[in-house]
Amino acid sequence: MSFDLNFIGILIGAIMASSVPLILAASGELITERSGVLNLGVEGMMIIGAISGFALMVITDNLFLAVIGSMLSGLIISIIFGLLTQSLLTNHVATGLALTIFGIGMSAMIGKNFVGIPGKEFPLLFINLKENVPFLGPILFGHSIILYFAFLLPFLTNYFLKKTKIGLIIRAVGDSPTSASNQGINVTLVRYSCILYGGAMCGLAGAYLSLIYTPQWIENMTGGRGWIALALVVFATWSPIKVLIGALIFGGITILQLHMQAVGLRIPVQLLSALPYIMTIIVLVVISRDSRKIKLNTPTSLGQIFYKEK
Amino acid sequence: MNTKLKVSEISKIYPGCVANDKVSLEFGSGKIYALLGENGAGKSTLVKILSGVVKPDEGQVFLNNESIKLNSPLDAKKNNIGMVFQHFNLFETLSVFENLSIDSDKNDEDLRVLVNDILKKYNFKIDLDIPVLNLSAGQKQKVEIIRCLIRNPKVLIMDEPTSVLTEQETDDLFISLKQFSKDGILIIYITHKLKEVLSLCDEVAVMRKGKVVSVSNTIDEKIESLANKMVGENLNTIKKKINNFKNSEEILKISNLNFKSDDPYETNLNNLNLSLKKGECLGIAGISGNGQNELFQILSGEIITEGTSIKFRNKEIGKLNPRERREYLMAFSPEDRISQAAVPELKIYENVALNNFKSSNFFEKGLVNERKIKEHSKKILSNFSVNTDNVELKSQFLSGGNLQKLIIGRELITSPELLVCFNPTWGLDVGAINYIHETLIQINEQGKSSILISTDNDELLKLSDRICVIYKGKLSKIMNADTVTAEKLGILMGGGSID
Repeated sequence: MSFDLNFIGILIGAIMASSVPLILAASGELITERSGVLNLGVEGMMIIGAISGFALMVITDNLFLAVIGSMLSGLIISIIFGLLTQSLLTNHVATGLALTIFGIGMSAMIGKNFVGIPGKEFPLLFINLKENVPFLGPILFGHSIILYFAFLLPFLTNYFLKKTKIGLIIRAVGDSPTSASNQGINVTLVRYSCILYGGAMCGLAGAYLSLIYTPQWIENMTGGRGWIALALVVFATWSPIKVLIGALIFGGITILQLHMQAVGLRIPVQLLSALPYIMTIIVLVVISRDSRKIKLNTPTSLGQIFYKEK
Repeated sequence: MNTKLKVSEISKIYPGCVANDKVSLEFGSGKIYALLGENGAGKSTLVKILSGVVKPDEGQVFLNNESIKLNSPLDAKKNNIGMVFQHFNLFETLSVFENLSIDSDKNDEDLRVLVNDILKKYNFKIDLDIPVLNLSAGQKQKVEIIRCLIRNPKVLIMDEPTSVLTEQETDDLFISLKQFSKDGILIIYITHKLKEVLSLCDEVAVMRKGKVVSVSNTIDEKIESLANKMVGENLNTIKKKINNFKNSEEILKISNLNFKSDDPYETNLNNLNLSLKKGECLGIAGISGNGQNELFQILSGEIITEGTSIKFRNKEIGKLNPRERREYLMAFSPEDRISQAAVPELKIYENVALNNFKSSNFFEKGLVNERKIKEHSKKILSNFSVNTDNVELKSQFLSGGNLQKLIIGRELITSPELLVCFNPTWGLDVGAINYIHETLIQINEQGKSSILISTDNDELLKLSDRICVIYKGKLSKIMNADTVTAEKLGILMGGGSID
């Protein structure tokens, strides 16, 4: 095994690809949580996105439709969560857990007929440059459009939350829904929108897995990534840029420890497998330890049910 | 520009309570109106109706003789009715400017110019780009007021605005309000503080149990006449005997106590020294957020310090937790009745049992002796005239005053040697305040001591034997109460010095 520059480039490219679903799902959930809604259904919405994307791809043979369809299906399933928590005022935590369980079961049911069908090749951009530019080629080029979008998303999210009026309103609702309502802001509408957006992003994250990363349908193929995305949001203290860092660390150590296992280092496999989780949390805790900033970024009303006085 | 606001036959009924019963009032610009009443008299419901937060069951609101519909806060804004709530409607984690821009349709540059004009005109000093959570209560209130001023209000409603302010901030607020009134804004001022009505307002409407009981010019009123209208009965004024404690036994001594917090939003305490004698009441004044919370927690044992720094009846108790301190006959009444002193979801008798885990009467072999606890609770309810005899009632259904009586009763029924209270009459009405004050004076007369941490200077001057001021975590010199005036306290509370 040679550690030439090109190999490192390929390795970094692989790390980036593996962190895409985390970035997408966590960025979506971050917006949802910033409005004060705690949706623990990320895993469920992701896997529904994964199966619907794959199924649509098989049925229509159109990747564009498949991607749009996966986002729509994530959005639709998040409507259930919205209805329950915002209109019927159920508990966020319990409803989110139920959504995950529902999503996993539902996807397994739909997916029965799609097991073993090979996926379709997803178009990758700038393939020529990838092979011709040493080191930077595999890092910057030869990825799917979704990966580029994913790496742009945290910056867009950051800008959206900090600089736009709608972003300001979302933060205000997450800070104090009662005050927002007294200012004439429609809290329920804002929270619904954020839930739906989060659902669509989780759907897209799922589609990335089943259409691009491992193009096939396997039951339970999200494998806990939804939970990691949730944890990332919290440990990144609701900052989009830190979510990106966290996702890259997680993806990076996941890939590296696989290589370490392959090399046959004398470290127990279990410890190596646990490494990404441990390291991600440690790094995020270290970079987010400014309690002043945490207080400013934390949505104060997270998980609280809001209803309007009549 | 003349503004006339009229409410006509407004009624609002909540389950089990008539909040507003055919309320009719008229207001005109150029004057400041007081809406006076005890807690639960229906003032807040009326202003919530005027600001569109709550819809009335019946009745109409007229602005300049036109009937207006107030179905949402937006409607109130459209009709140029501005409202500053008692509990601020600010977004703590957003910056001041963000708080202002969120409900403005102007672009950021224009808004900044406008806000700076307002700041200059009324001589407000606020940094627009720091998060609201770093502001003092008085500054937060100014942000609320600016938010209203941006919209050129015809009517400005202030709901109990001084409950969180210092004397100095209150004076500033009154100057501003008078200026607004001169600028043609109609001001409705809701309060249960009688002094403020007399010093600020031109007309006063008194509400009791949802009804308007009197409308009059403040020139024709006195504190006593207003108090009696508000409560509906004659209140006896209470006075404390000034005692001499030179020869009394020392019961509590704090020496060189320091506290350093890891939380940047807590206040560090620096080198505190104080002593307390048997039968004495020590008042601790100060603007909230100057270390009162931390001092209370250190006294109660929620924060544990070096053992030697606190001596109670000659025992070092700094390392003891609240339960152990109670065994040494200390008792505590925290500031926040709902979240610190009582568990609102629990029944009255369960809350009574909470601070008596060690009592063998209450618990036998790990089981709860419900009958004994209930008997004991009944005794508290009747001894401390709590307005119910149903010990099965959940505590959250008690009004603030009754809950406070229950808490003080629960603490006092074990006959402690020292009671530490933190803002015991915060947000209570005149009747309940009077009762709590009488009780606190009584325990001193029985030879028990008390420490009263309070942000209400009148209360401190009325009840304390000696007073000191806490400012930025430091205690001032401890003074005899008869040498202290409200002005002196005000200076010390603002960080000044006197000699």
